Amino acid sequence: MSKVALELCINGERHEVLTEPHRTLLDVLRVDLGLTGTKENCLEAECGVCTVLLDGRAVNSCIVLAVQCRGRAVLTIEGVAEHGALHPIQQAFIDHGAVQCGYCIPGMILSAKAFLEERPGATEAEVREMLAGNLCRCTGYQKIADAVVAAGRAVAAGR
Amino acid sequence: MSFQYHEPVSLAEAVDLGARFGADGRFLAGGTDLIIQMRRGKVAPRHVLSLHRVPGLDAIELNGSVRLGALVTHRAIERCASFQGRLRGLVEGAEVVGGHQIRNVGTVGGNIINASPAADVVPVLLALDATITCVGADGERTLTLEEFLLEPGRTARRPGELLTAVRFAVPQGRTATAFLKAGRRRAMEISVVCVAARLTLDATGERCVEARIALGAVAPTTWRAREAERLLEGRPLTPEAMREAGRAAAAGCRPIGDVRASARYRRLLVETLVPRALARCRKRFE
Repeated sequence: MSKVALELCINGERHEVLTEPHRTLLDVLRVDLGLTGTKENCLEAECGVCTVLLDGRAVNSCIVLAVQCRGRAVLTIEGVAEHGALHPIQQAFIDHGAVQCGYCIPGMILSAKAFLEERPGATEAEVREMLAGNLCRCTGYQKIADAVVAAGRAVAAGR
Repeated sequence: MSFQYHEPVSLAEAVDLGARFGADGRFLAGGTDLIIQMRRGKVAPRHVLSLHRVPGLDAIELNGSVRLGALVTHRAIERCASFQGRLRGLVEGAEVVGGHQIRNVGTVGGNIINASPAADVVPVLLALDATITCVGADGERTLTLEEFLLEPGRTARRPGELLTAVRFAVPQGRTATAFLKAGRRRAMEISVVCVAARLTLDATGERCVEARIALGAVAPTTWRAREAERLLEGRPLTPEAMREAGRAAAAGCRPIGDVRASARYRRLLVETLVPRALARCRKRFE
């Protein structure tokens, strides 16, 4: 199968990739670009560990073809902290002890980031609804929800 | 997965490519079903035609009727301010689909083409008497959504044909819609049973002049409970009339038993959910 030359914009940086059209964004991020912060698990868009932002919206990168991302902006967990400073959501996860094994956390952070940019000041019920597409098998949901609500308040106050 | 990838930039080019590849090609919309089916080896198209650069397919147009382009996402339906009144049922159907990552990319056209009897938005569209438009090598044709849905996973779409839009009339007068879903948990769940209802009352608000009840996951395709509709039309919307409609729908549906629920349980749900959806419509008239 012939390969396609692609220019991808990941975390604000341009990357040239040569890949087969059937490969997913998740696969290219992890294998070709070494960006292993985006996790791989169910490969069926159920668990949310592969969540990245595509043009600002949360998507499961396991069901997005890399070729579909030409000319679009991809944000992964590696690009969330800016200039060496943690994003308020990342800091809130630390402050609330919301991280156990950590595997679901990159996806949680990116889902929360897209959500809070539209709805800072969201209630816990809204946050829990938003997190439905991100599974945590340590079952640390309460602390995760607490962290996202607190981060939302911090974001809202900072505006 | 191994295929040639195409990215048409106009509707004409997409239709042309669809016609050229016929059954060897598949149109790719949100990918929430197709990519997963391809990875499981259930389908193996030689050509994948991504639609995301075709302009206009993601438009919602309101002009006496509503036209949803095939690429309108569940997220776009959820957020469309014009759907918050009489079309509230459409929003209720869209907002329970998957998680937000799925609703961000999953499309109304893909939901119809996937032809799952458990689809959530499809019953609402059926209750709105929606029609669909397909474009192929032989031109454009319009079908009712009901005749388009043939069996699980199969529609009346011809090989290479592209579903471009869904249309329905904007409900007028004293009309309300509602959608209810039963699953084993509240989120990220395929419906065990889902119900969409549309009711129109006469000018005095006393009698029901038009009723639509459409059900998901109780038959090989999304199913209209016509007997139940007939029981309501021309009568006052009393609790007893609504319960009667529920019993008629439960008697007429053809559910299967599977990993999610037994057929018997599905019938019980229908008997309960139909009057509940009707009551939700009625409450919206107040």
